[in-house]
Amino acid sequence: MKVENSKAQMRKGILEYCILLILERGDAYASDIIQKLKEAQLIVVEGTLYPLLTRHKNAGLLSYRWEESTLGPPRKYYALTDDGKAFLKELDLAWKELVQAIDGIKQIP
Amino acid sequence: MNKTMTVNIAGMIFHIDEDAFYILNQYLERVKEELKNTDGGSEIYQDIETRIGELFSERIKVNRQVISVTEVKEVILIMGEPSDISGSGSKTEYESTSSRTYRRMYRDPDNRIIGGVCSGLGAYWHTDPTILRLIFIILAIFGMAGVLIYIILWIILPEARTVSQRLEMRGEKVNLSSMGEFFRQEFDNVKRSFKK
Repeated sequence: MKVENSKAQMRKGILEYCILLILERGDAYASDIIQKLKEAQLIVVEGTLYPLLTRHKNAGLLSYRWEESTLGPPRKYYALTDDGKAFLKELDLAWKELVQAIDGIKQIP
Repeated sequence: MNKTMTVNIAGMIFHIDEDAFYILNQYLERVKEELKNTDGGSEIYQDIETRIGELFSERIKVNRQVISVTEVKEVILIMGEPSDISGSGSKTEYESTSSRTYRRMYRDPDNRIIGGVCSGLGAYWHTDPTILRLIFIILAIFGMAGVLIYIILWIILPEARTVSQRLEMRGEKVNLSSMGEFFRQEFDNVKRSFKK
């Protein structure tokens, strides 16, 4: 049982939530999202992000539009849909409950 | 000196060294394979290819226009292993599928005496090719069978030309580390032949 494994599992669990949080602040390219997640040390490799974005898009939580780019091909510009916003509210609640739960457990003498 | 190829990655044109192309191609094939059973797999694959193109174009400079093995390895490190991308689970699961070796019969042009049939078979069965050669010679003495079989094999067995084919011939895993090992060996061979 390695601690790194458990840490990775935890990060993986909150990754979806973080992606939605980033997009709540404004629309973004996949590479912008990657940049922010890397700064927060939530992802190590970029590849993990793309399946999540596509899954969320197919579930109707995200939408994207093509934007022309000065270097290279057009890029996907992601935005949160109304469904996505509602989904995020639920996750906000769940996160608060989790934090409370952990705090509660830690305070048990 | 290196031979280069021209590739189209998500609509952008790149010049890429032949050995770098080979590594990239292997990687993309594995990503594709890994995403095959995922919902929206082809879209994810497209996104990844586009990102790789972006990362390459960031690395192209006026005095450095060709993608080499270094850039490819760098980009693969950034994107992550195919198993990370699909999130198909534990590392061990991935390793068990990737260590699957494809061994195929080839003629070995490096160690050949006539057509490379015996050296190829030797590499395939991990036997000393000299023993196989003796068997063929004995068969040839007792009638024409040996000669005939040899000629047939010469015709039907493809020659192992590329790095991947030579690795397949020896039943070695075709991945980054084995490719690296292969190039190192080749390099040593060349050095040795110069010293002679």
